[in-house]
Amino acid sequence: MVFEFKLPDIGEGIAEGEIVKWLVKVGDAVREDQAVVEVMTDKATVEIPAPRAGRILELKAAEGATVPIGTVIFTLEEGAGAAAAPSAAPAAPKAEAPKQAAPAAKAPAAPAAPARDAVITPSAPAAPMKAAPVSASGKVLAVPSARAAARELGVDLQQVPGSGRHGLVRKQDVQAFAERGPAAPVAAPAASAPRSFAPVQIERTTSETRVPFRGVRKKIAEAMTRSKYTATHFTVVEEVDVTQLLALREKAKALGAEQGIKVTLTPFFMRAAASALQLYPQLNSMLDEAAQEIVTYGHVNLGIATDTPQGLIVPVVRDVPSKGLLQLSAELQDLAERTRGGKIKPEELKGSTFTITNAGAIGGILATPIINFPEVAIMGVHRVMDRPAIVDGELVERKFMNFSLSVDHRLVDGADGCRFLVHVKRLLEEPGLLAL
Amino acid sequence: MAGQAVLSVLREDGVVQGQEPEIAPDTLLHAYRTMVLTRHLDERAMRLQRAGRIGFTVPNKGVEAVQIGSAAALRSSDWIFPSYRDFGMALYHGVPVEQMLHGMFCNGLDNSRGRQMPVHYSFADPIRFVSISSPIGTHIPQAVGAARAAQQRGEDTAFLTSFGDGGTSSLGFHSGLVFAGVWKSPVIFLCQNNGWAISCPADKQTGSDGFAVKGEGYGVPGVQVDGNDFLAMYSAVRTAVARARSGGGPTLIEAITMRMGGHSSSDDPTKYVPAAMLESWAKKDPIVRFEKYLRRRGLLDDAQAQAALAAAEAQVAAAVEAAEKAPLPATETIFSDVYAEVPPSLRKQGRDYFEMMSRHGEAAAGDGAFPL
Repeated sequence: MVFEFKLPDIGEGIAEGEIVKWLVKVGDAVREDQAVVEVMTDKATVEIPAPRAGRILELKAAEGATVPIGTVIFTLEEGAGAAAAPSAAPAAPKAEAPKQAAPAAKAPAAPAAPARDAVITPSAPAAPMKAAPVSASGKVLAVPSARAAARELGVDLQQVPGSGRHGLVRKQDVQAFAERGPAAPVAAPAASAPRSFAPVQIERTTSETRVPFRGVRKKIAEAMTRSKYTATHFTVVEEVDVTQLLALREKAKALGAEQGIKVTLTPFFMRAAASALQLYPQLNSMLDEAAQEIVTYGHVNLGIATDTPQGLIVPVVRDVPSKGLLQLSAELQDLAERTRGGKIKPEELKGSTFTITNAGAIGGILATPIINFPEVAIMGVHRVMDRPAIVDGELVERKFMNFSLSVDHRLVDGADGCRFLVHVKRLLEEPGLLAL
Repeated sequence: MAGQAVLSVLREDGVVQGQEPEIAPDTLLHAYRTMVLTRHLDERAMRLQRAGRIGFTVPNKGVEAVQIGSAAALRSSDWIFPSYRDFGMALYHGVPVEQMLHGMFCNGLDNSRGRQMPVHYSFADPIRFVSISSPIGTHIPQAVGAARAAQQRGEDTAFLTSFGDGGTSSLGFHSGLVFAGVWKSPVIFLCQNNGWAISCPADKQTGSDGFAVKGEGYGVPGVQVDGNDFLAMYSAVRTAVARARSGGGPTLIEAITMRMGGHSSSDDPTKYVPAAMLESWAKKDPIVRFEKYLRRRGLLDDAQAQAALAAAEAQVAAAVEAAEKAPLPATETIFSDVYAEVPPSLRKQGRDYFEMMSRHGEAAAGDGAFPL
């Protein structure tokens, strides 16, 4: 039988140890208690003995490597060609005889004590113990450490085959599952998914990397799926002549610089969107499905979709109509920096009533944005382009941007979406109107 | 204290140079075998700990003569309020090795069902070995209190309490010696000056000339003894016990010795103990010295010495096997071990708990694995 030796906590709460030196080689026979490896922890450097006799199969950590407590550092084949002497003490060979006789004589004493089950069964009803892997309440039978591991690894416990008694899921089952994935397609659908398919089999290749699907990525995926398959998206696009806006922004930039504020185009778009939302409040709404009521907000809080190393994050600027361009610029700058630095507070990511997504800075002339559910509309801002235009009967070079608007057609009619975007176009083409 | 000689009987080569106490040969051999067993158990426990089979242990090497010499001067009806390392005293009086291994493995057969910190033993029989406590010196006034009770009942029981050089800086040491001095209680205060309070050297522990001198201020006679000399330890404790039983009051014994291992399995003594110091103490090894004495007297030969070690190894190996296989404490003992008679409220809690565990299918997996 193969025995896996896990690096024990040899010093009351240490986290890891460094492999200083292996004292054995693969293939060596070791006695119980024979020193196998020298390990340095933050408390001491110690020799670690083999807990059992056997032949070393594999040394799984290199000298100099630091490994966490609980890591398997070597494996041994138990009993294979191992000497029986339990001690390295300088005992004479004849000492073996009484040594081996004694354990045999004493061993039967131990099992006489009540086994754990035997003690527990009288006080606990026996039947539920033999239940199927899912309890009556629908909860998967799993030990607490397995539940913790499942949370940590983003594994759905329902899909993990349990190796414990009555199909009880154990920690190692979760770990094994996370490593190899489901052995066979599992039908059990996630409760929140509107429809479910068996997972597509993804063949493994020699040139790929795999990371667990969890954390921010998983949250984004859930939110997008929910939005896309709940809101009936309708997208409208408008092209906007931003020549004047860009000129105004240059002036605002100089003014902002005097106050240490970086002025971008986004606060102008925010002012325009806020104005349009006040005019067409049906876009500043949500559907309270539980109450079966349409909620329309008197305030305008704008979510600003932000590209961060962790993925898409949407910090929120509150009460936009009450704030001037410079104040919005300052707030945006602060939010963007803290969002990218991962220092944003959770409450600053909540409470938006409408979202602006600005991919234009990166590229792309057009997109069909996905609504930041349960909001009902989202505005996409796209790249600035030099375009020929007819102004007062003359062909001139102008700056244009495309604006897209996706609305939840369940609550917002297409015509209102168009009206919203036309108003935004009007304000941005004559940016003096933004002051109104 | 200055000027008073350290009590010593055996030279390092095992030759008697002082007053040799009268001890029956069987007793001497029993003491020797216990010292061998104590050392082997200690070494084995450390290997078990390093292999992750037990969580914690307390090295004992080098102080065997202090423990076994003291224990040999006590009756089984006496009480021991031990320090951290004193399991040798219990072994001498016949506590089975297996019982200690159950404690190391924290299993259901342990006297405290694995709920004490490992190696913090307590035994009621065959000697009263009061639960080892980690806090320093707290057990010293407890020993005095117990001794006071025996005094009042007119018993001639002796109470030995053992602590380290660091323990003399504790409040318990002061309180204990104050009361024992006033009451003339039958207590033997055994200060094991093993050189180190964890990593604090003894010369930084006190401004006094040794530790025995501290007794004077409390009206407790103090004596310094070579702690690596079994015969000297036996003599000193026997004298103190005789004084205690006869109403003469307490004695403070400073056993000068050296802890040859770490403070505990979590300690690395190579970081603070000078190698030269260890080398010089290795020459004074208490077991080697005692063995030389026994051989000189013709009480021990090679075969007997080997048999003693073999017997110790066999005993410990069997105990390890039994303890490792023994079941963990049953979950219901959480409820049943609190009161002699389980009150209805607790009984109900227990029932609810078991129902919940079985509902969640966790009864089999998690029971018994509660933290220390």
